[in-house]
Amino acid sequence: MIYCLFAIVALISIYTGRHYGFTLNRLFGFQRHPYIDIDTAEWPDVTVLVAAHNEEKVITNILAALMAVNYPQEKMLVVPVNDRSTDRTREIIDKFSDEHPGRIRAFHRESGKGGKAAALKDAMQMVETEVILIFDADYIPGRGLIKQLVAPFFDPEVGGVMGRVVPLNVGTNLLTRLLDLERSGGYQVDQQARMNLRLVPQHGGTVAGVRRSALLEIGGWNDNSLTEDTDLTFRLLLAGWKTVYQNRSECYEEVPETWPVRIKQIMRWAKGHNQALVAYGFHLLFGKHRATPRERIDGVLLLGVYAMAPLTLIGWFLALALFYAGTAPLHGVIALLAFTAYAATGNFAAFFEIAAAARLDYTRQRICLLPFLVLGFGVSIFSVSRAVISQLMAPLTGAQFHWDKTERFRTTP
Amino acid sequence: MLPLLPAIVELRLKRDAQPLNVIQQHAGEIRHFANGFRKVAVELQIPLRECIATGTSAAGKLPDGDEYLVLGRADNEPWMRGGKPLAICRVVVAAGIDVVLPDEMTFVKEIYAAGQLTGGKGSTYRAILGDQDVHLQRASKVTRWAHAVGAFRAEHDCDLYGRASSDQEIDLQSGCIFQRLNAPRISFGHPTAAVDRVKSVASDAIGDLPSSPAPIARTLHDENVDIPPGAVIPGSIVTRGKLRIGAGARVLGSAKSDKAMTVDAGAYVEGSLISSGTMHIGRNCRVGGPVVAEHGMVVDSGTQCGAIRTPTTVSAPTIEIEEGALVFGTLWARDEGRVVPKA
Repeated sequence: MIYCLFAIVALISIYTGRHYGFTLNRLFGFQRHPYIDIDTAEWPDVTVLVAAHNEEKVITNILAALMAVNYPQEKMLVVPVNDRSTDRTREIIDKFSDEHPGRIRAFHRESGKGGKAAALKDAMQMVETEVILIFDADYIPGRGLIKQLVAPFFDPEVGGVMGRVVPLNVGTNLLTRLLDLERSGGYQVDQQARMNLRLVPQHGGTVAGVRRSALLEIGGWNDNSLTEDTDLTFRLLLAGWKTVYQNRSECYEEVPETWPVRIKQIMRWAKGHNQALVAYGFHLLFGKHRATPRERIDGVLLLGVYAMAPLTLIGWFLALALFYAGTAPLHGVIALLAFTAYAATGNFAAFFEIAAAARLDYTRQRICLLPFLVLGFGVSIFSVSRAVISQLMAPLTGAQFHWDKTERFRTTP
Repeated sequence: MLPLLPAIVELRLKRDAQPLNVIQQHAGEIRHFANGFRKVAVELQIPLRECIATGTSAAGKLPDGDEYLVLGRADNEPWMRGGKPLAICRVVVAAGIDVVLPDEMTFVKEIYAAGQLTGGKGSTYRAILGDQDVHLQRASKVTRWAHAVGAFRAEHDCDLYGRASSDQEIDLQSGCIFQRLNAPRISFGHPTAAVDRVKSVASDAIGDLPSSPAPIARTLHDENVDIPPGAVIPGSIVTRGKLRIGAGARVLGSAKSDKAMTVDAGAYVEGSLISSGTMHIGRNCRVGGPVVAEHGMVVDSGTQCGAIRTPTTVSAPTIEIEEGALVFGTLWARDEGRVVPKA
C-alpha cells in the first residue's frame, strides 16, 4: 500500500511541477504568437462548420456574427450542421440561408449515429476546401477571428488550430464565475505555455480549425470518440501534424449555469479523454511516429489529467488508512499530497495558474473568488472519478457510451 | 470564514463580473486610428472650405475640447511667434491645401492634410492623415500612426513607430526604422515615380504567385536540409532542423523549418516561408505567400514578397530589409524593423 501511495504522490508531484513550469513560462518566458501578425494574404477558401443540436436559443447569434466577419465573402462558406434537432434550429438556419444565398449552405441531418463527431463526419460531404473551421453553436466569433484562425494554415506543418475560449455569461452565478477563472487558467496559461514550449496544445473542437488533407490522412473524424477534439489532437500529432494555439484569437462562449449540466459536461470530457489515453497513450510514449520526445511526455501527461482524479482520491484513502494503521510516519507524504492536490486534477488549473492568468488578463477583483475553487475542485474530482469508474465498469454492465449535449441558457437570441 | 470574506464580497457585489474584453470589431485593422481620426477631419470640413476660399487660417475648438488650427493658405505664419519659429505645435492641424511643414518642430496632436503634405526635416509627429501624398523629410519621427490615401514616402533616418499605411504605396529610404507597414506596394529606396505609378502596378502584377494553402504533398524531415541550387521541390517541405534553399531553387509549395532558414539568391517559393528561428532571404528571391520568422529576419535587395494582386505579410520581431527589396501588403516588425543601404 505504501508503495502505491508513493507512486501516486510522485505522479501528482509531476503534474504539480508541470503546472508550475507552465505558469513561470507564461510569466517570464518567450511568448510565441507566430501567425497572429498575418493580416494580409491571399486568403484560401474556407468552410465553417457550426455544430448544432437543438440550438434555437443560440444559433441566431453565431450565424449573424459569421455573416459580419471580415473574411472575403466569396471565399467563406458557412455550413450549419443541424444534427437531428427537434426544436426551431432548422427553421432558423433555413431562414438565414435564404437571407444569405451562397454564403450559408445548411446541412440537415435527420438520422444516423449521435454525437458531434458523427455529425461532422457526415457533414464532410459538404466540404470542398482545404481549410475547415469548427464552432459550436453557442459561440460568438468576432470580426477578425476567421482570418486569425486561418492564418496558421499557411504553415505546412500545421494540421490543427485552436483559439481561446472566453465565457460570456460570467456574472450569472458562482458556477459561471468559477468556470470563467478555470477557462482563464486553462487557456491563458496552460495552452499558451504548451504553445511556447512546443509541446502539445490541445484542439478544443470549437473556435478551432483543421486542415482537410491532414484530417483525411488520419482517417477523418472518429465518431466513436466522446471528445473528438482530444482524439483529433493526438491522431494529428502521431501523423506529424502540429496543432497550434492562438491565444489572441478569442471567442465568446456560453458556460454551463447549473451544476448538473456542468457535471454532465465534465464527465463526458473525462470519458472521452480517457478513451484517448487508452487508445493512444502507450503508442504515443513508446511507438515509432513523428512526435518529438518532449511532445511524447507532455502528450501522455495531457492524456492522463482526468485519470488523476480517482488516483488523488485513492491517494487520500491510502494516506488515511496507512496513518491510522500506524504503518509509517507519513507526515511528509500527506503534506505533499495536500500541497499538490489542487494542482493535480483534471480539467482545471491550479490556484497559482489561475492567479497568473488573471494577472495576464488584467482582471482584478475576480481573483478574490479563488477560495471558492475548492468547491469546483470537489465537484470535479468526484464527477471525474465517477466517470472513470463507470468507464471501467462498462464492460461488465454493458453500458454504452453516449454523447450528452450541453444545455444552453441564453434567453435573448 | 475570514479567508472567504473577500470572495463573498466579490460574489455579492460583482465588481469584476464582466466578460473579458475581447476585441470584436476593429480586429487589429491597421487603419483603425486613421479611420477614427477621419471623423474629426469631417467635422473640420466647413472651416477648411471657408479658409481655402478666403486664403486664411482659423483656430477653434473641437467638441472634445481639443484646439485646432485650420490652414487655408501655404505660408510660414502659423508656425511663427514674435518672428521666431515655434518649437512645438500643441493643436490639431488641418490643412486644406498642399502644405510644407517646418523643420525641427514637434506636433503633439494629429495632423490632417487634404492636399499633399511635406514634413520638415527632423520634425516629430504624433499622427498624420493625408488625403493625398505624404512625404517626410530626413530624420522625421512619427510616434503613433500615419496614413496616406496617396503615396507615403520617408527619407533617410526617419523613425516610424506604430503604424504607417498607404492606399497606394510606401517607400522608405535607408536608416528608417519601422514597426507596422501596410500598402499595396512597399518599396525601400526606390519609389515609383508618381507618373509611372499605374504603369508600375500593372507590371508588378505580371507573374503573380498563388499563396493559398492548397492540398499539396509535403515532405517531413527531422534533420537539417539543403535544397541544392536550381533544384525543384514539387510540394511543401517541413524540417525540424535548419533549412537552406539553394540559389535559384524552386519550391512549388511552402517551406517550414524549426530552426534557422536561409534562402539563397534567386530562389523562388510559391507558397509561404515559415521559420521558428531566424530567416535570411538572399538577393532577388521571390516568395508568394506569408513570410514569418519567430526570431528575426534579414531580407536582401531585389527580393519580392507577394505581388500586387496577391498581397502578403512579412513578419518577424526584428526585420532588417535592404534597399531594393519589395513587399506587397504588410510588413510587420513587432520590435523593430530597419531599412539598410544596399551592400
